[in-house]
Amino acid sequence: MATIKLVVKSRGGRELLPDGLILPYNATVDDLKARFAELKPYFYPSRQRFTLPPREGARSGEALVSGKRLSDYGLEDGSVLVFKDLGPQISYRTVFFWEYLGPLLVYPLFYFLPQLFYGDLKVPEKSVAQNLALAYWTFHYVKRELETVFVHKFSHATMPILNLFKNCIYYWGFAAYVAYFVNHPLYTAPPVNRTYAALAVAMLCQFANFRCHVILANLRPAGSAKGYTIPRGFLFNLITCPNYTAEILGWVAFTTATQTAAAGLFTLVGAAQMAQWAVGKHKRLLKTFDGRDGREKYPRRWIMLPPFF
Amino acid sequence: MARQGLLARLYLLAYNSVQFIGWAYCLWLVLQQLAQAKSLDGQYAAAGKAVSFFQLLSSLEILHAAVGLVGGSPMTSLMQWAGRSNVLFGVVAAVPETQNRPAVGAMFLAWALSEVIRYPWYAASVAGACPRWLTWLRYTAFIPLYPIGVAGEMNAVYDALPFIKERRLRGIEMPNALNLGFDYFLFLKGLMVLYPFLWFRLYSFLLHQRRKKLGSAGADASKKRE
Repeated sequence: MATIKLVVKSRGGRELLPDGLILPYNATVDDLKARFAELKPYFYPSRQRFTLPPREGARSGEALVSGKRLSDYGLEDGSVLVFKDLGPQISYRTVFFWEYLGPLLVYPLFYFLPQLFYGDLKVPEKSVAQNLALAYWTFHYVKRELETVFVHKFSHATMPILNLFKNCIYYWGFAAYVAYFVNHPLYTAPPVNRTYAALAVAMLCQFANFRCHVILANLRPAGSAKGYTIPRGFLFNLITCPNYTAEILGWVAFTTATQTAAAGLFTLVGAAQMAQWAVGKHKRLLKTFDGRDGREKYPRRWIMLPPFF
Repeated sequence: MARQGLLARLYLLAYNSVQFIGWAYCLWLVLQQLAQAKSLDGQYAAAGKAVSFFQLLSSLEILHAAVGLVGGSPMTSLMQWAGRSNVLFGVVAAVPETQNRPAVGAMFLAWALSEVIRYPWYAASVAGACPRWLTWLRYTAFIPLYPIGVAGEMNAVYDALPFIKERRLRGIEMPNALNLGFDYFLFLKGLMVLYPFLWFRLYSFLLHQRRKKLGSAGADASKKRE
């Protein structure tokens, strides 16, 4: 078995392993990271990032992706790899769990304990809209938690630990912001039939979103890299990210049902973030499935929001 | 990289020239008032209308960034414009009692001095004829002017806060059809806490830009904007 010796340098040019890293030439990137972690246990695999040396003028070279082999990158005896420490990592699953827990705990606080938030304003009986909003909101985030535990396939995905705080501030903060106004003693409900109709639409969107998540989970066998299969079926035949479409429409429906500006703002900000992600995913799929060398060509699809986007 | 065909460059040249003239006029008004009052008082009465007009006009820069006419993120542009506009139109315009205090004067002076350097630099860069000294000035003048400007802005807001609180200025009360409530006083207090951090980020970025542009040969006209 032909082995190669790889030189590992920091971005500043310092050699990190005096004896280099010795691996079979066709070892996988995961083997590489496991071996590195053996030699330097502080850097567990998910915080390691290896890139090829940057080309002239570029800031950094291509990153080594999980699932591929060293030979795929043309690495040979004496090749140099650049190491970067990504910092303490936390799994997507853990982050999702905590960020979605906030809305489940925070929103009901405003509904059940108004005396804590609204001073000595007299609290009237809750309207149908407020009751249904609580039920829908709770259902939505319970659904998200269940999907996090049972549906979503995360493979190796981790993120820097600081993201946990950023994400929690976003979700918990907006939960408080929306809950404050929907459960306000001076809340004005829209006509009740509008609320019923809008929340019915919202529930349809929830089911659509769930179905999209199941399709996405079944695309990917655990452990493989992103974007290996073109999603098909249901709304995926028309849209690249229909899960986001359903999510956004669901929140538009919730905003209509509660007629609350804060919910509208939450919808807009969420939509903007999802649009960014959708563009990234769409581009990745177009790049991976470019129709050349026997690969499939990614079909013409809307990114996230037909008919414009 | 900015898309800059001939028509685009002519437009930008015109825009930056108009802004330069406008802010030079504002500076003129500020200096006149400064000489007359021998202090920073009374600047809103003297230059308020002019500064407001050109600040409003500068909202075009967000559009320029959004359509790719110039480089830079439209979000950054929006936040910078919104920051100044919030102080000028949101706070200072709403409280006559504090409009003519020195904080506003310091703010106007710092803004005007910065803009009469920044706009000519943009214009010259677009024209492809930017002298080295102008680049130096553009990337050096901000060092004292930004802190003075921010101090002026924060002070002006601080001066006005009690009036905003008492009169519930620019607030939105409930109940209303959109179930929207807005407490401008609370919003401003929160903003004042964030201000030093936001401002520090911008300042560090400019210092970094300075090292890049003035470090190497800054003699060639750079079409790229930060």
